[in-house]
Amino acid sequence: METYEFEGKNDQDAIENACRQLNLTKDQMDIVILEPGSAGIFGLVGGRKAKIKVTIKSKEPEPVEEIAEEKPPAPKAAPKAMAAAPEPADVATDVAPNDPENEIAIAKEALENILALIPMEGITVTGKIADGSINLDIEGDKTGLLIGRKGKTLDALQFIVNKIVNKTLEKRSRVIIDSENYRLRRQEFLVQMALKMGDKAKKIKRPVATNLLNPHDRRIVHLALRDDDELGTKGKGDGILKKVVIIPRKQSGSRASRAQ
Amino acid sequence: MKELVSYIAKALVDKPEDVVVTEIEGEQTSVLELKVAKEDLGKVIGKQGRTARAMRTILSAASTKINKRSVLEIIE
Repeated sequence: METYEFEGKNDQDAIENACRQLNLTKDQMDIVILEPGSAGIFGLVGGRKAKIKVTIKSKEPEPVEEIAEEKPPAPKAAPKAMAAAPEPADVATDVAPNDPENEIAIAKEALENILALIPMEGITVTGKIADGSINLDIEGDKTGLLIGRKGKTLDALQFIVNKIVNKTLEKRSRVIIDSENYRLRRQEFLVQMALKMGDKAKKIKRPVATNLLNPHDRRIVHLALRDDDELGTKGKGDGILKKVVIIPRKQSGSRASRAQ
Repeated sequence: MKELVSYIAKALVDKPEDVVVTEIEGEQTSVLELKVAKEDLGKVIGKQGRTARAMRTILSAASTKINKRSVLEIIE
């Protein structure tokens, strides 16, 4: 069974959103209200969005609907929706405050709130947990505005959302934000650059330095050259941005030091 | 723009009720002044000004969208 999360101004709005996006009627899904939505967290205009979880019922309801055509389906739908409202209490208790779903929800909400204020239209954020970190993917930014030059804007968003999530959860968790597959593209670019610079260092037998890179990008460069015995890498500089110096090892010396 | 800075700042500080953002609009450039509680100053600036820089980056992206420029000033 597939489950989805939807948001809206209030729970009714969220349910409507769900119906529209999944192309289903209310009685074809099980609706659980995760957050009823409130007027103004931090006194912010618009307040906290209502959040619902929707599970699509197995295909059985469809034939039921065909029969229901004779009778108006409306009275059937109404009590279902009503019944959904008082339900969350017992479901909500199942969800521990630090469960992954909740972490994703917090991160997603923070990012969505920021994007809504930029304001970005036609943007969807999807969240999942991978390698122990919360991965958020922004879809629909065709202009690359949210990526920025060398991923500057994307990194800024990631940094702020990380701060918000860690403050809310009071627990260390990492959020990675991606848009238009930028992270993978950047990694491929950096690996290619590292290999090219490594070749250059070997050829001219002198150290070669990269541009100023952030810790994540530096790590990619270090890892790309880690298996090359003829090269060593070192960070150089102060602050968050540093250069990576790629140093060709003296053939005999490095072998000797390695043997020990 | 004002709401954007205000939302981010309020989400980062311990005293969101003390966050005040004033916007001084110019023809091309508008200046946003962010005031927070004294003990929260470090939270909006961050280690080596990293948080402030991230806020400015997001702000400039948002400003680009409406073809304007915005400057974020953090007021002590």
